[in-house]
Formats: sequence, C-alpha cells, structure tokens
Amino acid sequence: MLLFRGEEHIETWRTQWNQPRGAALTIDQAWRLADAWYGDKMDPGWRRATVDETEALLTKLGLTGPFWSLRA
Amino acid sequence: MPAEFDTTVRLALYREFVRTASPPTAETLAKCTQASIAEVRAALERLAAGKAIVLQPESREVLMANPLCAVPTPFQVRTQGRSYFGSCVWDGLGIMAMLGGDSLLDTSCACCGEAMTIGAREGHLVPASGVIHFAVPAKRWWKNIVFS
Repeated sequence: MLLFRGEEHIETWRTQWNQPRGAALTIDQAWRLADAWYGDKMDPGWRRATVDETEALLTKLGLTGPFWSLRA
Repeated sequence: MPAEFDTTVRLALYREFVRTASPPTAETLAKCTQASIAEVRAALERLAAGKAIVLQPESREVLMANPLCAVPTPFQVRTQGRSYFGSCVWDGLGIMAMLGGDSLLDTSCACCGEAMTIGAREGHLVPASGVIHFAVPAKRWWKNIVFS
C-alpha cells in the first residue's frame, strides 16, 4: 500500500512499473480502516478477525466489490 | 496452556517493541516472560502460523508485529519521543491509531518522491491530501505479506 499525491501520480507510477490498477482510498478512509484493524492490536483480548467479521468491517467502510472480497 | 503463553509472548513483544522502539529478540522475550528461548521461539512460530506476526525467513526473529515493522522502511512514525517503522502507509497509519496521542507519519509520494507528512492529534487524523493505492486484492494480502 503506497501513498501518492493524487490520482495522476498513481497512473504515472502504474504505467512506469507496469502495475495493475488496484483500489484507491482517501487518507481518511485508510485511517478508519487502520484504526479498526490495528486499534486494539495491543489489547490482551485481541484475536485475528474472522472472514465474516473482516468482510463486515470492509462493507461498513464502503469497501465492497471483487477487489475487497475475501472469498476465493 | 500454549494459547495462554502465546498471548503472554505476544503482549510482551508489543510492549517491548513500543517501549524501546526496537523489536525484541527471542532472547529478550524469554527474559520478559521467564521462559526458555526455545519456548518463546515455539510461541513465535505459532503466532506467525496464526498470522498474528511475521518472522524473518532465516533468523526467525520478528519482522513484523503488525503494524510495527522491525526493519527501516519509507514509512516512519514519530510519536511520544520515539520513532517506529510501518511496512506500508496503511501500517504507518495503524501505528498512529494503535498508539494514539500526537503523531507524525513521514513518507513520500511513491511516484515522484515529494515528501509527505500525515499527522494525528490526540489520536485523531489531521485532514491531509493524498491518495492511498492498494495494489493487491484483499484475499491475496497474506499470500505474500512482505510484498503486500
């Protein structure tokens, strides 16, 4: 996951390195995802989220579609 | 018993990593948990198998206690007088979220190299411009977590 100044920088980088287009998030979206994903990582009761729980989180953050699917 | 001990090792790992801003070795964790190095190494392997952490391929010391990374990267977080590295920008944000308080993520545009800084104040993101690109679909992140 890399940070870019804007969409045009993603396209330049992608073309230069022959990389497929993935998903672009605003910093605010990524922050909310990081907070939900890692915010409790130091808690004694932390456990790895199940696929269902992770999908529910992604959906809650508006991250849906094939790119965000966790199913094979 | 292993699950309880694994939690003890995991918590000691994160506590020491955050306290010292450096990844503790298996030997250090053995001292922290009053266990043998072999017991700690076995716990680290179980935690890695459960995708709670990532170990280095040869030394089997900690590479990632996500979101913390044991080796320098272009994603450096400064907070509470210490600095930490994330494996990617998302993990950099994760460090800021996990530790709370005031923090700064120093990085740069992956395309042109322009310096970029993202800040948080009292555990809340300070609005910043920029876009984060996820190149690998979610279901493939753990197929090669170092690349992802």
